[in-house]
Amino acid sequence: MSKNVAQTGLRITTILVAMVVGVVAIILCCFLALFLNRYQDAMVQNARTTSVQAVSQVSTTVSNYLSDMRQAMELVEQSMWETDESRDELLSAFLEFRPDVVAVTSYSHDGQLLQCWSPGRTPKDNILQNLSFDLEKAQASQGPYMSAPHVESIFEGYYPWVVTMTTPLPQDGSAAWVSLDLSFSSISSYINNVSIGQRGYCFLMDGDGNMVYHPQQQLLYSGLKSEDTATLSQMEDGAWANDTVIYSLTSVEGSDWRVVGVSYVDELVNRNVSEMVHLSLLIAVMVLLAALFTSWLLSRLLSRPLRALESAMENFESDADHFDYYPVGGTREVQELSCSFGHMVMRIQQLMTTVREEEVNLRKTELKALQAQINPHFLYNTLDSIAWMCEQGRNADAVKMVHALARLFRISISKGHELIPISKEIEHAESYLQIQKYRYKNQFTYHFHVDPTCLNYLCNKITLQPIIENAINHGLDLMVDEGRIDVYVQPDGEDIIFRVEDNGVGMSQEQIVAILEHGPKERTGIGIRNVNDRLQIYFGKEYGLTITSKLDVGTCVEIRMPKLWEDSYEGK
Amino acid sequence: MKGNKRTLAAVTAALSLLLCSCSSASDTATPHTVTLIAKSTQTEFWLSVFAGAEAAATEYNLDLNIIGPNTEEDYEAQNQMVAQAVEAGTDALVFSAIHYDNNAAAIDAAAQQGVKIVAIDSNVDSQAVSTYIGTDNYAAGQMAAQAALDRVEGQLHVGIINYDISSANGQERERGAVETFTRSGRAQVVSVINTLAEAHIAQTDTTALLTQHPEINVLLAFNEPTSVGAAKAIENRDDADNIFLVGFDSNVSTVDGLQNGTVDALIVQNPYAMGYLGVESAYKLLTGQSKDVTHTVDTSTQIVDRDNLFSMDSQKALFTFEQRGKSS
Repeated sequence: MSKNVAQTGLRITTILVAMVVGVVAIILCCFLALFLNRYQDAMVQNARTTSVQAVSQVSTTVSNYLSDMRQAMELVEQSMWETDESRDELLSAFLEFRPDVVAVTSYSHDGQLLQCWSPGRTPKDNILQNLSFDLEKAQASQGPYMSAPHVESIFEGYYPWVVTMTTPLPQDGSAAWVSLDLSFSSISSYINNVSIGQRGYCFLMDGDGNMVYHPQQQLLYSGLKSEDTATLSQMEDGAWANDTVIYSLTSVEGSDWRVVGVSYVDELVNRNVSEMVHLSLLIAVMVLLAALFTSWLLSRLLSRPLRALESAMENFESDADHFDYYPVGGTREVQELSCSFGHMVMRIQQLMTTVREEEVNLRKTELKALQAQINPHFLYNTLDSIAWMCEQGRNADAVKMVHALARLFRISISKGHELIPISKEIEHAESYLQIQKYRYKNQFTYHFHVDPTCLNYLCNKITLQPIIENAINHGLDLMVDEGRIDVYVQPDGEDIIFRVEDNGVGMSQEQIVAILEHGPKERTGIGIRNVNDRLQIYFGKEYGLTITSKLDVGTCVEIRMPKLWEDSYEGK
Repeated sequence: MKGNKRTLAAVTAALSLLLCSCSSASDTATPHTVTLIAKSTQTEFWLSVFAGAEAAATEYNLDLNIIGPNTEEDYEAQNQMVAQAVEAGTDALVFSAIHYDNNAAAIDAAAQQGVKIVAIDSNVDSQAVSTYIGTDNYAAGQMAAQAALDRVEGQLHVGIINYDISSANGQERERGAVETFTRSGRAQVVSVINTLAEAHIAQTDTTALLTQHPEINVLLAFNEPTSVGAAKAIENRDDADNIFLVGFDSNVSTVDGLQNGTVDALIVQNPYAMGYLGVESAYKLLTGQSKDVTHTVDTSTQIVDRDNLFSMDSQKALFTFEQRGKSS
């Protein structure tokens, strides 16, 4: 029944492990989520900062370059007031010193190319179109200005990409404007080396969104790549992030150029975040494993002794008599529990022994009480028969009767022993039958069939007599024909079988049950039930009486008891 | 107890699996080797292809070898280069075939060794070619013819200066041009010559052609060296006003020619894109992104004449941006 109860609940191990791991998992998840969220925010912020810093550095460098160029321009302006010779000398020295200046050109008021200085090159005679100078733009702008990138188109067989810085000259000379064509060599070395993250880069555009310089300019020109400069030119300076790209814009001081930094969220943020996620997961898994192991260990410490205790209890329950208790180790609580259980087991076993002893004593006392009052009616009838025999002068029969009576009493007392040799018991039964046969005037015959090997074993005294009494009273008394009683005593393996058979009227099943359950009513003497009870108290439930009976055929009572030697059962 | 142990073991296993999957390191394999075998290593067209290829190789972290024969007719040298590259353990070939048929066997043999094949500029007759990246040559030929038809009035007497007859792209261009002229009804292809893809030889052959057929008033030259040669021939004959020359590709001398009148129109291809996309496709093929590689990629072509020579688009198409500047 304890099994049925146990099925409904969960094991303590399961509960403990689940609870600990669950709580740890929930806490870990919360922490990880919070931490990773914060981390990502920090990384995005960091990426923006990095990007802005990189771009502002480029911006400063480009700005320096431009102011450098403006200074150079001032030098060129001044040279315009020199004589032709010294101007040529000055400018050729300047061009040698500044290899990124492709050409210095001067223009008249109507935009005609006046002079051109370029190392080792002279302009073509027929210039189809001079991209370095745009008269309208020059007239419109007040001070110096920068052009968009274009190809140098005034030389033959030399077409580098340049930007042009044009500045107006005071009105008194022949030249109205002077231009510097700048190649990208200086700017490119600044910009190409900028990297924001692994793949990030920056480029230079002007205020209208025209590309000035891009590290992958040729990719753009070949149509393999594009930058959304139109949108970018609308943006304010600062960092702008979308899902994949962070743009950071900074204006270059002293020009309308702007530096745009492009960096990838994926590599600056997501990669770090995913690395952190991996690391966090690793830690989480390790913590969970540790929690799992600890809780498992803990629960085993708790549950193993408990389970040992439980199985001890089950064993005790199924066989209390032969249960040996060994204390269970474990935590202190379990030890105390175990100790209490041990005390309980001892106490119960003591009680059980006491109860059994008391029962035995009770039956003994009962037997003695019954013996003390052995049917006075029987005694009176017997003595009456003896007296009658004496009157008739049947002295020999009278003597036999008196002897039988004496033997009956002697054996039934047997110096107070409960167990007597089977031979004595048979003698007792025979004495009883003898007396009864005289009393019933030979209405029945009796026969003993005793296996001689059985004679020396012990048996409970007054076992056969109540059975025989029952056979005479219930079976033979009412019969008209001569009755017959057979008593068999046989060994059966480790047991001995007593059988009392009669050919009387027999008993119904109800009568059998009544005799075994309640014993004889309103009758003195030792009942069949008393015999059965004694046998079972002494030898166990598997021993005792069985009655089989057929109406008008006869009754057979079988008694089973173990073989007992005199010395083996001295205690009882 | 037993059931519990099993659960525990299962949970532990699951967690350690998670652990393993977490800690699986990102792969840092050695870079793939890609070999670009060009038709030539001299012309501006090919230099631009190489620049594009190098840009892609840098971007995708590839080892790029660029080789090419000395002349644009030496397909045998190309075949040897293919074999050598395969032997040297190249993972992919970006190939421009001099000979549509005679290069096929070498390419098939390379493909047999598991080398990925990308054809650029000029295709080869092989099933192993995963993708062809280049100009739609037939359309480019049509474009060249149409440029002449649009700009020259009256009857057209056309002379065509083509390069090696076995080159697939030259023949395609010629077919496109001839068919367009024929359809127009006012043009007659007087002569087609196949010269070598070297400027001075083309110049000689063009001069001979013009001498032989003085009625020619339109000349088509189908690649960079032949265009340069034809322009030189016209310049030497001082015949710029009479002869309308349509050339191919960008070269400083043809650009100069456009300005002084010897060249009247240029069909400008996009060599940088060919090089870049060729190497990029090789990378995609090598990294298992084959489904992103289409069978044919048409790179843009553009007509440049004297009027639009310095438009922004023409500038971008004609003039390579010198990334490092003159100082480097």
